[in-house]
Amino acid sequence: MFSTIYIEEEVLETSRVKKMLDRFPQVPRVVCERYGEVFNRKSQNFRLQKKAPALILAKKYGSKVLAAPDGYGYNDSRSYYFSHMLNCVYDCRYCFLQGMYSSANYVLFVNYEDFEEAIASKIEENSGGGVYYSGYDCDSLALEPVSDFCKHFVPLFGEYPNAELEIRTKSTQIRHLLEQPVIPNCVIAMSFTSHEAGARWEHKVPSIDKRLEALQKLQLAGWRVALRFEPLILDSLGLTPYENLFAQVFAKLDAKKIHSVSSGLFRMPIDFHKRIVKLYPDEELFARPTTTADGMIALKSEDESLQLAAIEKILFSHVSPQQYYRCG
Amino acid sequence: MIETLEKSLHGAGSTPVNIVVAHALEAKALIPMLHLQPFDTTSRFVQYGNSNNLHLIVSGIGRAAMEAAITDLSQQQANEEGQIRAWLNIGIAGHSQAPLGGAWLGNKITCQVSGVSAYPPQLIAHIDSGAVITVDEPERTYPEDAAYEMEAFSFFEQATKYSTAELVQVFKIISDNLENPIEKLDFKNVPNWIGLQQEQIILLISKMSSLVGEYNDSNRIPEVYRDLCSRMHLTVNQKLQLRRLCLRYKALGLESDLESVISLAGSHSKKVISQLSAQIDRVGKQ
Repeated sequence: MFSTIYIEEEVLETSRVKKMLDRFPQVPRVVCERYGEVFNRKSQNFRLQKKAPALILAKKYGSKVLAAPDGYGYNDSRSYYFSHMLNCVYDCRYCFLQGMYSSANYVLFVNYEDFEEAIASKIEENSGGGVYYSGYDCDSLALEPVSDFCKHFVPLFGEYPNAELEIRTKSTQIRHLLEQPVIPNCVIAMSFTSHEAGARWEHKVPSIDKRLEALQKLQLAGWRVALRFEPLILDSLGLTPYENLFAQVFAKLDAKKIHSVSSGLFRMPIDFHKRIVKLYPDEELFARPTTTADGMIALKSEDESLQLAAIEKILFSHVSPQQYYRCG
Repeated sequence: MIETLEKSLHGAGSTPVNIVVAHALEAKALIPMLHLQPFDTTSRFVQYGNSNNLHLIVSGIGRAAMEAAITDLSQQQANEEGQIRAWLNIGIAGHSQAPLGGAWLGNKITCQVSGVSAYPPQLIAHIDSGAVITVDEPERTYPEDAAYEMEAFSFFEQATKYSTAELVQVFKIISDNLENPIEKLDFKNVPNWIGLQQEQIILLISKMSSLVGEYNDSNRIPEVYRDLCSRMHLTVNQKLQLRRLCLRYKALGLESDLESVISLAGSHSKKVISQLSAQIDRVGKQ
């Protein structure tokens, strides 16, 4: 699963790290002083590293709960995100993480208690409220068997019923969620693109069927689930891929019980895009004509807003506009 | 399998790998193993190569010699097409207990003088890995569980200026330990110890070659770029624009259109670039 496990000296003797290491007796271990020595080094190639990523076990210092970027969330409450992990086990060609980090290795911050303290303190700062996103810099659930992320972070929100936790994922690792009592203010938000887009740009991601099956199990168990249809990459196939996707999704889930649905077009900070183009000069997606506005890059399309509106119209045949928001 | 890999190193394919050794005795075992011939060069460093692009340079002992050899070779191999090479340092080292002839790939290379460590990314499976410590004077007590040698850290720091860290690796073969101290090292055995690692060395070169090949393929600029650069005067900025445009045409599956667009634009560099730009904006829109 990992080519190497790097361990910061400071966390080497912690019981959590020892337990994690016990799972991988055959994987070579390398002790480092700080994770940045491995992760932030120059002259690394994200694309090559994706072939055999390493796991880095580290301690997170500094701010652990940050303000969510504009347009990330689904309501006007104060929104924050926290990242117990950097990078994702999946390999989606459109993902901004490829341009954000110089390394494709996974950094797992193991000082969960510090995160919990920071989250609790932020919730209290917000009079017990606020929305807290996990899964901005990683996929929250994909490494669950190793990280036990849900076991630790989800129950915390049970103590703060007015705060909301959104776990954004493409993973089907839901066992730990199903084993614990439902926390009504925890939302599991699953991301989808069309079959066609997935086949082309998503690698190692569980199939749409498998993800829907996981969502259905969660919904039946009483968990609140949400749908994130992003990034929408519009092309010559038109609306049919989305009609098909929505039909498949809403045939499986109880639309009325869905917490929220969002969609968002392909957008990325210009600098990230530049770096990704260097990594993937042969990728058709990044060779397409683009436009830039407010530091973000988008694919050039004359009728983008019309197409987005048409997709939303199809969505509204399944869910109410009140359940929907446009991302970004 | 190893026979197939071994054939591939001197077969029809390309093996853009530079092997750097400190000592001529280290080269001695590798020359027949990798089917290398003396490479004719004005460089002060002895070099070997084969028609398959595999190259070997003898740097001399110590950090400064290693840096100089890498700089020299990278200048010799400089190209404008963005094609890179993998770099592999093969050499002997000491360890307290490891058996003579044992070997591993460096996954952590520490400079003893500065205390700084580098971590070559480990993409190649099925080869043992371990720590390497670079010292300025031969180590006799081997206090850490690491291979002690004299060049690896400089090799990694210098070679990553010309390639990406995943393609810069260090492979150390144990030549001395507490039972067989460095003072009693019989250098005549060095080729034998390296020879013992033939399978691992060939596997390593073959995997590195495949990774660098993949990198270079994705960065391969259509031939027409070179033609244009030789045919018309282009500023540095125009070359960059043209390079990116050629790569975009290639990525969009429009490489064959490049010639016709260029011929319509004539021989003026600005016009060629604007024509290529306008055309790709029209065609590339989905």
